[in-house]
Amino acid sequence: MTPRRNSTTRGSSAVLLTVAFGMAALSGVALASGLSDRDRESDPKVLHLPMTTDGPKSLDPVEGSTTYENRCCSQIYDTLVQYKYLKRPFEIEPALLAEMPTISDDGKVWHFKLKKGVHFQDDPCFPGGKGRELVASDVFYSWKRAADPKYQYKSYWLFEDTIVGFDEFKDAQEHAATFDYNAPVEGMRLINDYEFELTLKRPVQQFMWKLAMFQLSVVPREAIETYGNRFSRHPVGTGPFMLKKEDDWKFGTSLVLHRNPTYREEYYPTEHMPEDVEAGFTKAAGQRLPIVDRIDISFYVESQPMWLKFSAGELDYTTVPETAYNDAFARRSGNLKKSYSDRGIVAHKVPLLDFIFRGFNMEDPLLGGYTDEKRALRQAICLALDWDELNEAYYNGTAIVYDGMISPGMDGYPENGRLPNAFRGPDLDRARGLLAKAGYPGGQGLPTIDYYTSNGATSERMAALLVRQLEKINVKVNPRLVDFSTLIESVDNKKAPFFSFAWGSDYPDAENNLALFYGPNEAPKPNNFNYKNAEYDKLYEKIRMMPPGPERTAIYEQMRDMVIADCPYAGSMARIRHYLVNPWLLNYKPTETFFTWMKYLDVDDSKRQGAYSR
Amino acid sequence: MWSFILRRLLYNIPVYLGIILLVMALLRVRNPVYAYLGKNADEKQVEQFEKSFGLQDPFIVQYGRFLWNGAQLDFGESWKYKGTTVREKLLASIPPSLSITVPALILTTMISITVGLLSAFYRGRWIDRLLVIAAVLGMSISFLVYIIFGQFVGAFLPKQAGWGLQPFEISGYKPWYTMASTDIFGVTVPYPSHISPTTWVAFCLLPVLISVIVSMGYDTRFYRAVMVEECNRDYIITAKAKGATKNKIMFVHMLKNAMIPIITRIMTTLPFLITGSILLEIFFGIPGMGRTLITAITDMDYPMIQGFTAVIALLYILSIILTDVLYALVDPRVRLS
Repeated sequence: MTPRRNSTTRGSSAVLLTVAFGMAALSGVALASGLSDRDRESDPKVLHLPMTTDGPKSLDPVEGSTTYENRCCSQIYDTLVQYKYLKRPFEIEPALLAEMPTISDDGKVWHFKLKKGVHFQDDPCFPGGKGRELVASDVFYSWKRAADPKYQYKSYWLFEDTIVGFDEFKDAQEHAATFDYNAPVEGMRLINDYEFELTLKRPVQQFMWKLAMFQLSVVPREAIETYGNRFSRHPVGTGPFMLKKEDDWKFGTSLVLHRNPTYREEYYPTEHMPEDVEAGFTKAAGQRLPIVDRIDISFYVESQPMWLKFSAGELDYTTVPETAYNDAFARRSGNLKKSYSDRGIVAHKVPLLDFIFRGFNMEDPLLGGYTDEKRALRQAICLALDWDELNEAYYNGTAIVYDGMISPGMDGYPENGRLPNAFRGPDLDRARGLLAKAGYPGGQGLPTIDYYTSNGATSERMAALLVRQLEKINVKVNPRLVDFSTLIESVDNKKAPFFSFAWGSDYPDAENNLALFYGPNEAPKPNNFNYKNAEYDKLYEKIRMMPPGPERTAIYEQMRDMVIADCPYAGSMARIRHYLVNPWLLNYKPTETFFTWMKYLDVDDSKRQGAYSR
Repeated sequence: MWSFILRRLLYNIPVYLGIILLVMALLRVRNPVYAYLGKNADEKQVEQFEKSFGLQDPFIVQYGRFLWNGAQLDFGESWKYKGTTVREKLLASIPPSLSITVPALILTTMISITVGLLSAFYRGRWIDRLLVIAAVLGMSISFLVYIIFGQFVGAFLPKQAGWGLQPFEISGYKPWYTMASTDIFGVTVPYPSHISPTTWVAFCLLPVLISVIVSMGYDTRFYRAVMVEECNRDYIITAKAKGATKNKIMFVHMLKNAMIPIITRIMTTLPFLITGSILLEIFFGIPGMGRTLITAITDMDYPMIQGFTAVIALLYILSIILTDVLYALVDPRVRLS
């Protein structure tokens, strides 16, 4: 008996030790994963975030194009690289990659190394429902989808004229009976499961930014083949969050994202800006991502209920609707009102990468052309326009009026947004002088100009303002208020002599804006102005290959000034988005340039509860 | 009666086909592809899109295809919501709309008829004037004002003030029932297995109340006019002469004889129960038919617009036929011939 008891005792001790070690190991894992002593099941951390729209239309990255699809897909999928969360100006870091790609001396061959052990989210499309490991062929498969006619080439522009043989692959597949994903592409070389190589047609620096765009996310072939068209509702990725069931996305109402338990090992960044310390963005450094367990995103077509919900403490942050601006901010100082700051609410102003302009069709017989007289006519129109008045009337004076086409925050953006050579109005005397130089003294003999803009109450009022401003120099404008489809068609067909458009940069590099004036990009491509300047085009081709630096910035400025002199547009303006953040939302550094930031967010439920019971 | 219904159905087939033809033709006046693909779509993309969705086929082929598929309740796949059929969207958006419109119609009709009766009975007296003024006032205020005010006072203030009673959500929608199905003689019949009245109150009652308040002004005035006309009829004088009580005159004699215009009003409203209230659905974030249709129009989602229109037109035609049948049922003077 005794020996048996002894053995039992020894056994018990062993079990206890094992349990103790197990517990210690588990708590270690728990701490590393940011779980601490919190039970994720019974006490989940939940974010309540708004989205001012009726939501995404598809959760398939290759079909996505809007910022709303970007916001949602960026949580579910991963790209090879991502934006550094806290770093400004923006920089890129590896996401699915183990390290940044190495680039050959001639800039054409890019070598990629994937992280090992990255798994797709568990889903019935995989054997046993367990997500398999992501490998290099998944990257090629995902990118080839952009060339599949089934997806109407919505995302192919990201690859166009970039990878050797990819355009040819696309053309060949277009006429094939079935799309062959196994067909080789000359510039895509698989080395092994974790390494691959791309050969570019020419060195393109900006390709790195494109690699961070959500349309280039990696998806598993099994899911596409299992769900077909329904993949857009049943997404499977490697991102920090996932849908547990299709019903998690209620069209037009809400989207519930759950923490992906198999998310790759990633930690809150330690690299930050000096001001981030005071803002409290550095406290979570080293914490395992994602921090929260669930994100409840609700969609608002009208901003009024969103604003009320934020004010009632039901949303963690909100953008400030135009109608509520004066409610939140002091009109003169632009500071957050005391009633908000007393509640611990913090305001953030996020400049958007906007280029809002009024464009001239450079092929139009009246407004287009490159002679001194034609230039003078366009310059006169630019000088008659008062962008500050527009800003005050429609943007509460909060937008940024600037010279040139390079949006605020990018290399080549002028200091204080002002340039001495720009034709920024209102300067009516100079405008009248230039009008006379153009051959229309006092506006005499100048035919009425057709101005195309989209219909809608605000556009109509903005057009009326433009008409009134140009009347001051006796330039008559006929506003053509058309639906957006007609506006696009008119500009694409070069029928609109003068039109209202805007450009939101895809990535924070001025090359994206300078491309709008590159000759081969003429309509229907993004050069809506049909601007052609051989010297400009040569410079553009040069900067595409140049790495960031003072030399490249100097060329950006040179190109900017060339366009200003030729005046193919009147402008410019960039909007500022105002965010109000409740005190319980932690680590939120608002940006609209990328949307992978939800995994860094945390929530202090004790503060939230306090607010509710107030 | 059945031959009448069949005949009316046959008469209405050309009307129905004409409605669909008109909608499809109007939608094709402008090419939707540019709006759908965005401003930088190249010719190849446009061509590919048109090919994928059969837009390159002659109009008559597109029309015939839509009718043929529509007859099998297949309205195609949404352009915008990939992987989602129009039928799915239709079925998903009808219950939220009905959750608001059916209670709103019942409440509005009951209250308005009662108020109309009262007003007509006391015509010219202070009670009638008061009710008429209230109705006109109610009609004069914009629907939007009611919604914004209702959300603020009904939902936001109780939450902000931290009152114990916070019955309404500011916006949003959660299904207040769960559906189950059972097999009856081999046929799968769906039925609501669990109903949560508190969920309905939280998400639906406030929009219902706003809808009732807005509609009451119009309906009360209409029913009052109907009742006033009935008040002057000989049978009312006869009933009074015979010593019938006020209640009996109002709720038995007058109400019964006023059923034709009441039915007409209610029946013409029926199709709109399905289409829902666009403003209410947008402001309250209710994923109903009205909001879905408006979104489809702004998105230029042709299959959705065509599918929704086909269903709404069908409901409208059916409600008109049903109205005629009901006339014959409530008024023996009406013959279905």
